[in-house]
Order: sequence, then structure tokens, then C-alpha cells
Amino acid sequence: MTSLGNLRDLYQQVILERYKKPRYRGQAEPVHRYQKGHNPSCGDTIELTLNLNEVGDRIEEVRFEGEGCAIAMASADLMAEALTGRNVNEALEMVQRFQDMMKGGVEFPSEFRKLNVMQGVSKFPVRIKCATLTWHTLKAALESSSSAPPNGFVSNE
Amino acid sequence: MTITQEKPLAANVRADFPILHQQINGKPLVYLDNAATSQKPIAVLDTLRHYYEFDNANVHRGVHTLSSRATDAYEGSRDKVAAFVNAASRQEIIFTRNATEAINLVGYSWGVANLQPGDEIILTVMEHHSNLIPWQLIAQRTGAVLKFVELTESEEFDFNHFKSLLSDKTRLVAVVHVSNTLGCINPVKEICAEAHRDGAKVLIDASQAVPHLQVDVQDMDCDWLVATGHKMCGPTGIGFLYGKLELLRSMPPFLGGGEMIADVFLDHSTYADLPHKFEAGTPAISEAIALGAAVDYLTSIGMDTIHAYEQQLTDYLLEQLEQVPTIRIYGPKNGRDRAALAAFTAGDVHPHDLSTILDQAGVAIRAGHHCTQPLHRYLGAQSTARASLYFYNTREEIDVFIATLKEAVEFFGSIFG
Repeated sequence: MTSLGNLRDLYQQVILERYKKPRYRGQAEPVHRYQKGHNPSCGDTIELTLNLNEVGDRIEEVRFEGEGCAIAMASADLMAEALTGRNVNEALEMVQRFQDMMKGGVEFPSEFRKLNVMQGVSKFPVRIKCATLTWHTLKAALESSSSAPPNGFVSNE
Repeated sequence: MTITQEKPLAANVRADFPILHQQINGKPLVYLDNAATSQKPIAVLDTLRHYYEFDNANVHRGVHTLSSRATDAYEGSRDKVAAFVNAASRQEIIFTRNATEAINLVGYSWGVANLQPGDEIILTVMEHHSNLIPWQLIAQRTGAVLKFVELTESEEFDFNHFKSLLSDKTRLVAVVHVSNTLGCINPVKEICAEAHRDGAKVLIDASQAVPHLQVDVQDMDCDWLVATGHKMCGPTGIGFLYGKLELLRSMPPFLGGGEMIADVFLDHSTYADLPHKFEAGTPAISEAIALGAAVDYLTSIGMDTIHAYEQQLTDYLLEQLEQVPTIRIYGPKNGRDRAALAAFTAGDVHPHDLSTILDQAGVAIRAGHHCTQPLHRYLGAQSTARASLYFYNTREEIDVFIATLKEAVEFFGSIFG
């Protein structure tokens, strides 16, 4: 795509691969947290399920279901991978760091470097909400205290 | 603007639209999101500026010269709109903020006063949210029941299904004239005749029709028709409701305030005659006047000329789109049966991703649910991409769009194998 060169920054190989072959689609087992996210302007949806340790301070497993663009789906898949085995406080800090990265400038340290492929999104302001939908949804999931299906959904508008 | 026979219409009018002559991401802008909003010609921009530079005053209030000029221009614009849709009387044109407000006006005025529990309102599955949500609210309030006309196999208005839904319980049929997603042009005249046979009233949402086709409310015989200014070369913040005179007379006011009154006492008031009864408060004066300029502009080209040109362009768009691998176009396949737009999906490539890639090439399209979520659900598509044309678009622009679309599909296709 010679005429569309800077799209390579946005659609990095990893993003396209994760869109095509996600590794973390499905439902966590058992479900300790369940949250729906929705982007009302485009209709993208995401459903996150989390499996926590006994004390409830560590994420054992994250799975997602949903429909959306390559950016939204790849972001969810990469997030699920990065969060496995992380404690809840660390995950909440990562939500903030991801949002900061979308504003430009900040990166994740090397242990989370795969998340840095999403950096290109920061150059496409209208697409930032595609990338952050899954992180908004995660935050709401972690801040709730129940595994019951939620009545409402998180909107990132 | 000068019309010559030799050149296509767009070549003659593009100079009238300053916004079209710019680069986006280093490429000439190709604006194909006209169903969302149209661009504005210099004549409309100049009208807005001239009004504020020379004539600005409140309407129907003062005795001074500026007030008189503003009032004349505002009411003159109503005459233009009335003539444009062939209303029998200027009193049948009510200025509103947009089509949505016009529909809400009918719902909260006529609907609340007339609908009883069990009464039926017939809509279609292809309605824009603006002609759906107001009726959901009115149905909740009055106990009326909503019924929905479905689609034929060719994804058009199913007239037989419509007839099967009509009964003596039907009080209202509210239907879109041209679908903003399917592009189909609905048989509104036949719909009106059929509904009237059962004593039902008909509201036509002509937001996507009035900018592109000759609309004649008397020939159509609709009871109400709504449209919005910004899709027809006018500014945002102005739209209109057409209603049959006697029907509008029988309806109670919608919003109360200044301008809509005859005589005010502390405990009650009498209301102004039409159209002012439905125009409470200071209206969108400059916008209404500029809408009049837009009507003049469209009339100077001729709606038949616009429609004929757009049909050729739509045929070309559909023909080219069909060549793109994995493409699925929604709505009728024959360009003659549809308006100048095409909603589509391209295999596994999400419409948002398509739109970003096209934007990099300067091409503006819409991606999402286009405010027709129930229709998307009905079609089994979470979202679609949509290219929508206007008379200033060219074949060359469609070529740029198609070439980039093919690149995008190949780019994603190489990943998906």
C-alpha cells in the first residue's frame, strides 16, 4: 500500500494478526467479574470476563467477546494477554498508562512492550476510543465487586 | 454557476463549494458523506454573512427597519420552501430545528392528543432513529402500539407486508421516503393512498429525499412531511415540517413561549394563527433565510437535473463497487430504484478500518450504524460503511474511492489469506 504508508504505523502486523486470530476470545472460567462495554457512536461492543484469585487481588484470566474494528479487537486481545497473572492494583495503573500512551509520549516498560504496538493509534485521534474501549471496560470490571451480569454497560463517549 | 450542456453537472457547480477545494492528508478531498450532511455553496454562506452584516434583528417584533427586513427575509424563505415542496399554502410550512424536532412536534402535539391505548402506529424496520425513538416515547405515553413493515428479499419496503399490517386500529403510518442506509426510494404516494383508505394519517420523513428529488406534497398527499436544511445545502439548526392546513389547525401547540401567542393572560393564552402557533421563541432566523438561499440555489440547477445526474453517478458507483472483492452492498441492486448512496461491507474488514484507510487518501465516508441500529440488526450487520453522493461529486472521485477501497481490501485480505 504505497500511497497509504503511514497506515503501517496504525495497522502493525501484530494488530492485524490479533484481529484475525485472537488468543483470548471466550469466557473466563469461573467468572468473578463480568462487564460490558459499548461505543455508542459506532456500535462496537465488548464483554469482558475475569477470573480472580481467592483473595480477589490478582487476575488469573481475562477473556473477551465482542464485535468491533481491528483496533478495538486487537487491543482487547493484547490487554487480556498482558493482564494475566497481574495484581489488580497494577492492572488499574496500566489502565492509566494506556490512556496516557494514547495521548502520546508514554510507553509501557519492556515486559509489556507488546502493548506498545497500539502507540500508532495516538496519531489517529478519532480511533483512540476504539483502542481504549476494552481498558475502560476492564476498569469498570475491577471496580465492581460482583460476578453478576451488569445491568448497564460502560460507554467511552 | 453556469450550466452548459457539454460538461457534467459537477464540473459546473464545484466552484460554488469552497470547502471541496482542499487537501486532506495530502490528497484532494473526496467528500462522500453527503447523507450525513451536504456542503454549502457560496450563495448560502454569503446569505448568512449578509444577514448579520446588514439585516440582523428579531423577527415579528419591532417596527424598525431592520426588524422589518429580517421578518421579510424570514417569511420570504418560508414562501420558497412552500413552493419547493409544492405546499398549497405558506401556512403549512413550520420551521423547526431539524427533521427530528419536526417529528417530535407531530408526536407530542397530534400524537398525545389523539392516540388511545391499543391504537397502532406503523413504522418500518428501516427508520432512522429520528423517526423511531419519538414514536417509542409517544407509544409509552399513550398506550399506542408500534408495528413494523419488514423488507422484501431485495431489501426494499415490503408493500404486501405493509398492507397486511394496516387495519382500522392503524392511526398513523410514519415512513422514511429514502432510506439513508438501503438507499431505496419508498413508494410514498401509494403508501399514503393505502393508509388513507383505512383512515390513518401519514408522516413522511423526507430528509434524504428533498435534497435529491422533486418532492410534491400535494401529489404525494401525505399529511405531514419533514426534512432538514443541512442535507440540502443549507445550514444546520433549521428544518421544516409540512402539514395539511386543517390538520395543523386542529393540533394543540407543541412548545409554548413568545411568538406563538395571540393574547396572553396570567392564567391562559390564545394562540397565534399558523404557522406561528408552532414556532415558539426567537427562531433560527439566519439559518431559515440561508435555507431559502439553498432552495434558490437548488431550484436554479433544477431538481430534475440533479436527480438525473445523480442517477448516472449512482449507477457508476454501484457498478464499480460490485467489482471490489468481498463487497456486500445493502438495498436494491438496480440503480434506478435507489438514491445516490450505497452502504456496504467488505468481508472481514471492519467499516471503521475502511474509513480510516480511505481518510488517509482524502476520501470521507461514513462508518457505523448511520442511526439505523434496528435495521443493521435486521440485516445481520453490526455496522456498515456508506458512500453517499451529491450533485457536485464526479466519476473521478468515485474512481479514487474505489481504487483506495480495493487497496484496503487487499491490505486486509493479505492478512486474512
